[in-house]
Amino acid sequence: MYYVAKVNADMCAEYKCNTCTLYCPEANTLMFDKVGNTSWVDEDRCKGCALCVYVCTDMLSRNCITMEMVHGKED
Amino acid sequence: MSLKYVTPVAMFKKYLPKDYVELVDFGPFGKTQDEAGPGNMGQFKELMEEHPMCSGCWMAYYIRLIFASLPCPEETVTLGTAGCGRLAISQAAVPFIYGNYGDQNAMASGLSRAFRLRFPDKQKDVITIAGDGGTMDIGFSMTMHSWIRGERFTTIMLDNEVYGNTGGQESGMSPKGAVLKMAPGGKNFEKMPATALAKAAGCVYIVKMSPTNIKKAAKVIRRAIFVAREVGPTFIHAYTSCNIEYSIPTEEVFADARAQEKDRFQFEEYMTDAAKEVIDRIEAEEKAAHRAKKGIVAEEVN
Repeated sequence: MYYVAKVNADMCAEYKCNTCTLYCPEANTLMFDKVGNTSWVDEDRCKGCALCVYVCTDMLSRNCITMEMVHGKED
Repeated sequence: MSLKYVTPVAMFKKYLPKDYVELVDFGPFGKTQDEAGPGNMGQFKELMEEHPMCSGCWMAYYIRLIFASLPCPEETVTLGTAGCGRLAISQAAVPFIYGNYGDQNAMASGLSRAFRLRFPDKQKDVITIAGDGGTMDIGFSMTMHSWIRGERFTTIMLDNEVYGNTGGQESGMSPKGAVLKMAPGGKNFEKMPATALAKAAGCVYIVKMSPTNIKKAAKVIRRAIFVAREVGPTFIHAYTSCNIEYSIPTEEVFADARAQEKDRFQFEEYMTDAAKEVIDRIEAEEKAAHRAKKGIVAEEVN
């Protein structure tokens, strides 16, 4: 069971914004998809710090990222 | 490793390490800052890889920013010492040298001199990245002497104001009155004036900052490296909080960095006239190259 960030792709694609990907402490984890114009999270690498939620919600008031529990295959 | 020595030829690509090929194809090797720099982190394969630092660590974030801002990662060597920072610095595709506690600036002195002798036609960048303990407490004498000798390399201090890796002892950089796990009575002494010491010791470019503005932080790192190539020692004192020892909730780490920017870590920049000359020249060249590139793109569109 892990606590990871999830990006609401439909909401995120409305903005031309990649601010959250600039403030993640993990490299190659919160990535930006230029084709879909949206951010996405590599869930295996996310450590669940919620810094991106602060950037998206508190700083930019866009509310596109939420923290969610995910279950591994064995759970 | 240098891109000039090992440029993947299409037919041999499958025999080269996959990570290296990816860094050439999708990463910053051989590319400019506009193509793969701090402004578009998250859109290319970064030099830094998965690291064992804590969740929400602002130091890990700043190290990620340092690696994205390097002007020439193929020709760079980083040095570090014991502490949290080395856990992430050593996970990057840039050669990393790990010294005994506090001797990173002494090693960098020899290394930068050796590079100038061995590669006189090349610009090799040497950067020491160490914590406040490694730079200002235990490595203090070696740091100061390397500056006094005028060694030409960049020193970056990741100041988390505590010995985070060993359970929260107070360091010389902890603020007065800080209550920590191993200093429950609160610190009795003032925070060391690191930038004033650097100035007295002869650093030619000194910056104190809290890295919240990406463009500004990247500009400072690049300026420090460019000045160190030609003029003398440069020093960056950056606030990289320890959210474990100072009990900052992970989602508020960025807010804390912004608060510190207005408090103890207000932006300070000092440069000598010689350093200013180098900065002005290089930034004018970069601007001209950027404009020329824009012109080419505009012509292609037309």
